[in-house]
Amino acid sequence: MSLLEDIERAFAEVSGVDQMRSCVQAALAEGTSPLRIVQSMRDGLSVAGRKYERGEYFLSELVMTGIMAQELSSMLKPYLQRDGGEFLARIAIGTVQGDLHDIGKNLVSTMLSSAGFEIRDLGVDVPPEKFVQIVNNEKPRIVAMSCLLTVAMDAMKKVMGQLVESGLRSEVKVLVGGRPITPEFAEGIGADGYGENAIEAVDVAKSALT
Amino acid sequence: MITFDHEEPDQVPITEMAIDVVHLEKLAGAKLTADTSPQTQVTSDRRAEADMVATTVLAYKKLGFELIPVELSAPDGWNPQKKPDGTISDEWGRILSYDAKCRSWVSSGSIFSAPEDFERFPFPDPHAPGRTFAIEETKRRIGDEMVLGGWIKDPFATAWEMFKVTDFVRWLYERPNFIRQVIERIADFNIDVIKQIVDAKADLILCSGDYAEKKSPLVPVKFFKDVIFPNLQRQVEAAHRAGVKFIKHTDGNLNPIMEDLANIVDGLQSIDPTAGMNIGDVKRRYGERLILIGNVSVDNLCTRTKEEIVQETKDCLRDAAPGGGYMLSSSNSWYTDAKLENCLAMVDAGRKYGRYPITIPD
Repeated sequence: MSLLEDIERAFAEVSGVDQMRSCVQAALAEGTSPLRIVQSMRDGLSVAGRKYERGEYFLSELVMTGIMAQELSSMLKPYLQRDGGEFLARIAIGTVQGDLHDIGKNLVSTMLSSAGFEIRDLGVDVPPEKFVQIVNNEKPRIVAMSCLLTVAMDAMKKVMGQLVESGLRSEVKVLVGGRPITPEFAEGIGADGYGENAIEAVDVAKSALT
Repeated sequence: MITFDHEEPDQVPITEMAIDVVHLEKLAGAKLTADTSPQTQVTSDRRAEADMVATTVLAYKKLGFELIPVELSAPDGWNPQKKPDGTISDEWGRILSYDAKCRSWVSSGSIFSAPEDFERFPFPDPHAPGRTFAIEETKRRIGDEMVLGGWIKDPFATAWEMFKVTDFVRWLYERPNFIRQVIERIADFNIDVIKQIVDAKADLILCSGDYAEKKSPLVPVKFFKDVIFPNLQRQVEAAHRAGVKFIKHTDGNLNPIMEDLANIVDGLQSIDPTAGMNIGDVKRRYGERLILIGNVSVDNLCTRTKEEIVQETKDCLRDAAPGGGYMLSSSNSWYTDAKLENCLAMVDAGRKYGRYPITIPD
């Protein structure tokens, strides 16, 4: 089995950081393209994601693949910068005002980063004005809003409203997700996309760019 | 309470596992000053704590609730460590930030960066005096008017929160024996505390801490079988030795672990409808083994109309009450943003339609 297949398998089977690291180091030593290593990681994450959706994997496996993906991204950063690897797009992501939860947001950020997006993490309890300010000043192509609490859903509506009022709505795609969020809610507030989980978020973000 | 013996009383009993400060104040007509947290102890100011107990008791009496849950207190003289950024850390190494809207401290980080930090950490002493202050104070105020449930926190859930989730998971993979030992040690703490809770005249042990999220359990089923459930079993046995039942609260989709869970605990609270848990289905499959408490959706208490809440309450009563062994509650607690009118509509509907024999049509 090739080292690229080993890397894909490390993510698909959630083998852990050490196993992944030694495969990646060996691949780099052989002169394997970092972009091909990243693709192997993404293929492996995709398998892991499908296993999570089928109920074979649980949140802890998803979190572990996120940890592995962050580690791989750190290992490859010098190589990707040197090779001029470009990001797919910039995404500003945050947990909305009134909510301090960040597990889901962090998992989504890691998955999106691993998929090639540039992440601008706004943290938690982010006021609507901050989302609007970031859209105005930094021009992300996508804004991703997360929440765990039902109460914070109103904050998402406020962000949408303020984007409209400030004339910025058409300049950014808005994606939403989190425990209480449903496709109906996303549609109701005028969001461009909804992700059931961190794995799905990658596909939703890519679709938003087309 | 004969409900806990799986018999039908005259009326379905009603409770809530917790009511946020803003609602307690409205119900009791009081103003609270105590620092609170839904996850841990954050003060040993006994005067403020006594006010909190008095207000809670007043609110629960006003609602006519049959069960009042009470948290453990921090030990005498304990104070949280305050940090320059405004956060605090608790006895267990959680870092907490203040949520101004809910007026409570919520978990936002951890003091632990490595397993070696925990090994050097002064582990809480279960025998430190004062841990049952709030329980004793509540019992003094309620006498035999209500069932008193004393809270402990599940060891897995404590460890999941004490460490950052990413660290817990990483160490679960790389240092599984360390995680196992942490959970066992917290279970030992709980076993010591359970006896004190019952000695303080609590009638029941309530165990908080989620096992699952919306989709599924948080960790693999094998870890539940190998580590979480054996330690849960030890705590349940401690409760039974002390002569009381053990009710487990957990949100999320428990279906992959229900059979094992039903063989260990005496009851279950939440039965999370947003995670696909159907209380009628749980009643059919486990009703002879498990006392059920739930399951009006906390999301619906925030967003729906009174009429929809009344219907949902009737559905819960129809599906879960026949045969006894059932208490009406929300699927978690009355959050700050729950509409109080909806919460009260749930209670009113529970009183109106919850007389046995239950005769609510499909």
